[in-house]
Order: sequence, then C-alpha cells, then structure tokens
Amino acid sequence: MEHYIILARSVTYAQRMQKALGRTGIRCQIYRAPRNLTELGCAYAVRLEVNDLPPALAALHQASLDPVQIFLYQRGLYKEVES
Amino acid sequence: MIYLDSAATTFQKPVGVAAAMWDALASMSSPGRGGYAAAMRAADAAFQCRSELAELFHLPNPERVVFTMNATHGLNIAIKSLVPPGGRAVISGYEHNAVTRPLTALGAAVSVAESPMFQPEAALEAFWRLIAPGVDAVVCNHVSNVFGYVQPVEKIAALCRRAGVPLIVDASQSAGVLPLDMEALGAAFVAMPGHKGLYGPQGTGVLLCREGVPVKTVLEGGTGSASVQQEMPDFLPDRLEAGTHNMPGIAGLLAGVRYVRGRGLDKILDRERRLIRLAAQELEKIPGLRVYADPSGEHQTGVLSVSVEGQEAERLGTALSERGIAVRAGLHCAPLAHRSAGTLDTGTVRISVSDFNTPEEIIRLASAVRSGLERA
Repeated sequence: MEHYIILARSVTYAQRMQKALGRTGIRCQIYRAPRNLTELGCAYAVRLEVNDLPPALAALHQASLDPVQIFLYQRGLYKEVES
Repeated sequence: MIYLDSAATTFQKPVGVAAAMWDALASMSSPGRGGYAAAMRAADAAFQCRSELAELFHLPNPERVVFTMNATHGLNIAIKSLVPPGGRAVISGYEHNAVTRPLTALGAAVSVAESPMFQPEAALEAFWRLIAPGVDAVVCNHVSNVFGYVQPVEKIAALCRRAGVPLIVDASQSAGVLPLDMEALGAAFVAMPGHKGLYGPQGTGVLLCREGVPVKTVLEGGTGSASVQQEMPDFLPDRLEAGTHNMPGIAGLLAGVRYVRGRGLDKILDRERRLIRLAAQELEKIPGLRVYADPSGEHQTGVLSVSVEGQEAERLGTALSERGIAVRAGLHCAPLAHRSAGTLDTGTVRISVSDFNTPEEIIRLASAVRSGLERA
C-alpha cells in the first residue's frame, strides 16, 4: 500500500514529529527506517497516509521539525521526494 | 524509622513509583533500539518523561532534557562542556564537591563568591564583583545541600546574561520544590537528581541543556542513531546518552514527576517549610545546640543544619540513629559550604524533610535530640 515515510534523526525526534502531527489531527506510526534509506545507519521514521503529506509538512514546519528526507513507498520501492 | 535525610535521597516514594518500575521491567526493553512493541513502549516512557520534565522546567524542546545517572554526572558534563582545562570559573561559597572536584580536575582558576548565609543581597554583590567577560562559567546551586539556603539564582542569572557568561545551576535540592524557569533564567545548563525532590529512584538524574550551547561528551558509545558514524551524534539527547538507558529508573522518575506536578510545587514547599520551621523552633529550645535557621524563613527550604558546641556532629548523628531517626551528620560532601558557615571543624547534623514527613515526627526528633545530648 502506498505511503510516505519521513526520516527522523533519532527516535526522540520522530516522537516529537508524531506529537506535532497528532496536535493537528494527523495520525502516524513510528518505525525503524529501512537501512538502505540512510547512509548514517540506524534511524527512525514516521509513516503517513499519502493524502496527509501536505498538511503534515506544514505542521512540521510550523513546529520547526523539518524532515531529514521524505520517501514515497510505491510498488515495493522507496523513492525520495522533495520536501 | 523516622527518615529525615531527604536531601540525600527521598526514601519514601509515591506509591506509583515502584509500580512503574516493575511495569518497566516487565514490559519495556530499550528506547531507540528497535521498532518492536517492547522497545517502543520504552521509547514512549522516555519521551513522556522528557516532555513532562520540559513542561515542569519551561523548556520548549524535550530533546534538550538529557537523562543522566545523577546530578553529579550532569554537572560533570555541564562543567566540562564550558570550562576548558586551566579555564576560569566563579562559584558560590556553598557548592558541593560535585562542582568543586570537576573544576579541580580541570585545573581551573576558581573564584568563590563568598557571602554569609541567608543574605541573598550579599551573595548577589559577591557575584557581581567576580562575574566578568573572560570567565568561562558561573556555577551556583539553587539551594545549599547543607543549610537549605536558597540562593538568588534568578538575579545571578541576570548578572551572567549581562556579562555574557554562561551559567550552570545545580538544582539538586530545589528540583521538585522551587519553581525553576529554564527559559527565563537563560542558564546554559541545569543539573538535578531524579531521586530527591522529583521522587524518582536512585540512579536517575537529568541535565537540561539550552539550545545552542555546545556539549562535550564524557561517555561515548552506542545511541541507536547514526550508527555508521564513529563520532557521537551532534544532536541531543543522543549525544549525551551513550549506552542502554535505565528504563526502570526513567519509568519510576516519570511517576515521581507526575506526583510532583499533581501535588504542586507550592504545596510541597509549604509543607516542607512548615516542618523545618517547627524543627528550628523546637531545637532552638535545647541548650548547647546551634540551629542554622533563616530568621525570615523565606530563604530556606526543607533542609536544616544544627551543631553541638564543641562536639563532632557524628556523635549526635549516631545517637539519633540508635533512636531510629535517620539524619546525615558530617560535611555532606560540601566542605566549601562548611568553610563558609564556619562549621568545617565539627560538621553539622542535617535534618531534611520531604512531602511525606509529619509534624509528629519532628516533635519526636526534638525529643530524641534532647535525650541524645543528655546521654552524650
């Protein structure tokens, strides 16, 4: 199923993102980021429904939590998208 | 036992603390180490704890709340981040060895802002004379661990801001008792234990870090983030939290912090002050005993020291212990504070209360002191 993932630098940062999104009514899940998406090694990400990306980015920007990287998951592959 | 050594560790904890620790042992692994349920439960508890501490101390970002082993650990990070080897520091005359020993290890030139106890204006003037550009850091406790003396940290912070000198606050005796606004203070760091006024378990501590202040690590290792990189991450809290977290401790601390927030700092402070005033009132009636109480009561919290004329404090401490009363006698790891108060030779007997002590216990203490001195 298609979805977006937003990479976070740490689990705490991902939790702050989840909290900020929750305040605007956007539900998201935190999970471990796939290893091939980041050169730095272990990382966490928040997973979003496709339609939630634009309001989510606005909410994160407002909370000064700009994403590290964003990926679209489609047909079994991750593709980086511009934030 | 009547426990009156809460300045060392609060022994009586809110009921939720042990339950939270047990729950952590039974259901949590380690935060930031996996995406499975037990790891995420641990991450949730850690984040909740950071968030509630950030709210309590007016810190906008919970990432700036770092878990430490105790206040000493936090003070070491703070001091070593700001004071280079051979650097310059200004401290109050009431500091603990947790401040003076790291500064000594750094070979720092330390100036002591000397002033009499319970006279905040004199303390302010002493700091004013010493705080100047070129000083690497000012370190000051909010409350003396020996005498319960409340130092004017808000005004000292204003002096530091004006001179552009970073401030480190040791909130070991004030966290959970006195309000502390990290944003308003503009302090670089505030260090505190989790196991005193915040009613968490031993082995927990917290370091609050201001945005933009560079932090040096005193421990390096795994953080569950940026694992390929061999330098420690440059972001908090990961930069300062190498190794596995003390999850039972953090879960217990969260329960303690919730107790404090639910009860209210003003109510806790009021209760502790009433108990200490009662103790001072009763102990002052005993001949041969010197009681170090603030006459106004405004500049003292739930800590009171007494000394016996010409007698080592340990004798009275032992006599009280034999009567089932737990107090701390000696120098309380703060020889500088004793030097400032003129009690370095004998030490003092320290009586320190928590939100769980009662007036009846204080009356029994006074009676035990009287009988202990008569037998000595």
